[in-house]
Amino acid sequence: MPVISLYAGLRKIAGTRDLTLEGENLAGIIRGIGERYPSLVAAILDGDHLRPHIIITINGQNVDPERGLEIPLDANDHIAIFPPIAGG
Amino acid sequence: MAGWAEKILDIDLNTKTYKTYPLDMEMARSFIGGRGLGARLLWELVGPEVDPLSPENVLIFANGPLTATGYQTSNRFSVSTKSPLTGTILDANSGGFWGMQFKKAGYDVMIVRGRSEKPVWIEIKPGEVSFHDADDLWGMRVRAVTAKLGQNNNRRNVLCIGPAGENLSRIAAIMNDGERSLARGGPGAVMGSKNLKAIVVEGKDRPEIVDQERFKFLLYETRKLLAASPLTSQALPEFGTVVMMNIVNNVGALPTRNHQQSQFEGAEAISGETLTEKYLVKNASCWACPIGCTRVSRTEKVEGEGPEFETTWAFGAACGIDDLEAIIEANALCNDLGIDTISAGSTIACAMELSERGYIDSDLCFGRADLLARSVEDMAYRRDFGADMADGSLRMATKYGHPELSMSAKGMEMPAYDPRGMQGQGLLYATSNRGACHMRGNMLGLEVLGLPKLIDRFQVQGKSSFVILHQNSSASIDSLVLCKFTNMGVADEYFARMLSAVTGIQYATGDMIRVGERVWNLERLYNLREGFTRADDTLPPRLLNEALTEGPSQGWVVQLEPMLKEYYRGRGWDENGVPRPQKLAELELANL
Amino acid sequence: MIDQRIYEMFREIGRDLFTSDMISSHGGNLSIRLGDRVIIKRRGAMLGNLKIHDLVDTRLDKNDSGVALASTELLVHRTIYLNTPALAVVHCHPRTAIAFSLSRDELVPIDNEASYLLKKVPVVTEEFASGTPEMANKVANALKNYKIIMLRGHGSFATGQTLDEAFHWSSTLEESCQIELATKIINEPFIEYRKMSESYNKF
Repeated sequence: MPVISLYAGLRKIAGTRDLTLEGENLAGIIRGIGERYPSLVAAILDGDHLRPHIIITINGQNVDPERGLEIPLDANDHIAIFPPIAGG
Repeated sequence: MAGWAEKILDIDLNTKTYKTYPLDMEMARSFIGGRGLGARLLWELVGPEVDPLSPENVLIFANGPLTATGYQTSNRFSVSTKSPLTGTILDANSGGFWGMQFKKAGYDVMIVRGRSEKPVWIEIKPGEVSFHDADDLWGMRVRAVTAKLGQNNNRRNVLCIGPAGENLSRIAAIMNDGERSLARGGPGAVMGSKNLKAIVVEGKDRPEIVDQERFKFLLYETRKLLAASPLTSQALPEFGTVVMMNIVNNVGALPTRNHQQSQFEGAEAISGETLTEKYLVKNASCWACPIGCTRVSRTEKVEGEGPEFETTWAFGAACGIDDLEAIIEANALCNDLGIDTISAGSTIACAMELSERGYIDSDLCFGRADLLARSVEDMAYRRDFGADMADGSLRMATKYGHPELSMSAKGMEMPAYDPRGMQGQGLLYATSNRGACHMRGNMLGLEVLGLPKLIDRFQVQGKSSFVILHQNSSASIDSLVLCKFTNMGVADEYFARMLSAVTGIQYATGDMIRVGERVWNLERLYNLREGFTRADDTLPPRLLNEALTEGPSQGWVVQLEPMLKEYYRGRGWDENGVPRPQKLAELELANL
Repeated sequence: MIDQRIYEMFREIGRDLFTSDMISSHGGNLSIRLGDRVIIKRRGAMLGNLKIHDLVDTRLDKNDSGVALASTELLVHRTIYLNTPALAVVHCHPRTAIAFSLSRDELVPIDNEASYLLKKVPVVTEEFASGTPEMANKVANALKNYKIIMLRGHGSFATGQTLDEAFHWSSTLEESCQIELATKIINEPFIEYRKMSESYNKF
């Protein structure tokens, strides 16, 4: 099952760092997150779209928010979700 | 006029005398302040025949017209000089309180020339400047000197060097307000070579503002925007800049073990999340800043400000170290001894690789957290192998026959982003005027964070447009002297409007970017005059030729050539990277 | 040959502009700056339905072989790139904004989003509002100070680091104007809800 890692402020909302969920595509995974952690999904999504500046990577490659979230996943994919963050 | 104090303080350490005279307002209009004004003055004062550690080099401290007005982050100031590390033009800027106080003392610029025969410190109060013997201060560490000279954040501020600067380490920093630094490029060594231990300021008057109403409006809008941006209202205050560790690692751009890999298995252990959880006491901020990105951390041995992302990376992933406590302690030591943390950590990393490959005889190797503190002390005091490390990784690696193992550009150590994972960043490092520097126009936002919008970090064509824009924009912000984190909530156009409201002179966003472009080109001319050429716009062979073998950036090297060609054309320079006469005329630099 | 990813970006923004009624079938334009080159829509192409051969790649400052096919508005885009920090330009015909531009010298939004993002949008006028150097200079000059401006009776010009950004300003402006139009129909006294709002028109 794909592993989803959360970072920065999202960890506090979820109460945990890593989640594992069934899902064949990214949209499905996020829906799954929504069922277990509704406040987490509220921090990530605005309706059907990603909130501005939320960063999602799959195996270290950025997901382009414009492309929609119907991205197929493999069983050992690693998804990382970051809230808006910056630094230098 | 409003905004600027319109006065220069000119100090001669040879004779321990000073004079003050008006700032050339034509020059001020075109170069604004800070980095811009510093570059313009340095152009006149320090030519190619001057050795950076000789009395003929100068230190130019500069504010901007917005400094001390109370606008968000209007506390920063810069120092310009010729760098003892790179030999290029150098400016470094710092926050805290000193810059604000210096402006309140009634000056835009202070030029420090010559060399004092014996250690001296300078005291600046409104209307009076005095020189004091510093024999009893020489040798003292930064905290002790700062306390002894009467540091009081809002009223009396101390700027000084530590033992590293006294010992002319080419990566030595100038520290202000105890723990803030003007560090990259080794300005501390210049100050040390002048036998100048400290400069203390007390000020009185805030600058004049022409359009008070507009100023208040823009202040309010900026406050609103900074509060609304999750970057400046949540991420930075809660986690500090170290919050970058996990994401840069995740995308495979975290240089590990002296840039041998691009992901570090210990990234989580040294991340912002871990720092906040285990060692953070509270956050803190500079004068007039609502963001509060400063960390105050505590371990059993130390408590102090920091560490920042770059520091944590330099002593962390770069050295293969995942012991955050040791990193916090190394950071505190760097602040107290007055050394640039990025160059220090990266130099130790280079030494670790030299040692592991058998090119030097040392117990240093990747992962030895227990050797960090000793290494930093050895550098500051030029003890044992520290004598070789004190002057940066390039001189050290060259001495032992392997300059290619110094992860630097133009001699300045590269910061925490592996350009094989971010092509634009590679172009940025190769072309930055003071050497490899991320603060000259960080491509992190566009290439990784999606600020304002994500662009493909592996794409090469067209990258140069963004790099040029960012370089120009950063140069303009460095010339106002504001904090670039303000730019995360507030667009450049606000700075232009604020400048107009304060000074009464109309500046448009385009004009500000034009100032940045002018400063950039002037710095380029300076370096060309020093003898730098297109050949110096390059990166270590490892980044150009050795593809990463694992991680999300696997298989990539930096494709510098095509980006550089496009960059030169985009900047209006010829194929050797020399600004064309037409471009110089456009920027009103033709007479230089 | 234009990069596939760049083409897709143009195609998506073009389609969004057409489907949201911000442009007619053959009007408007999109361009980006890549270093010293400009990529712009071909003469006569339809923004709502761009094909890869509808994009033209030409030099920023001089004419080369690409220019024959480029839009007649290439001049204004070039002038914008040479005079502002823009890396992308969106030019469209937002109908409500155009209607307001016929009677106002500046559009000052009353809704939250647009007053937050735009504050004020100036209106410039040019008699022959297409393709002349005078018009190009006027538009570019105004864009030195604002990220989106109106050309009276013609349409909007918006700049950004990416096409998305410029599209964002354009779409926000049109939404704002439609809201204001609705208040005219509702015709009830306006309750000011924003602090310091009297200063927006001095932005």
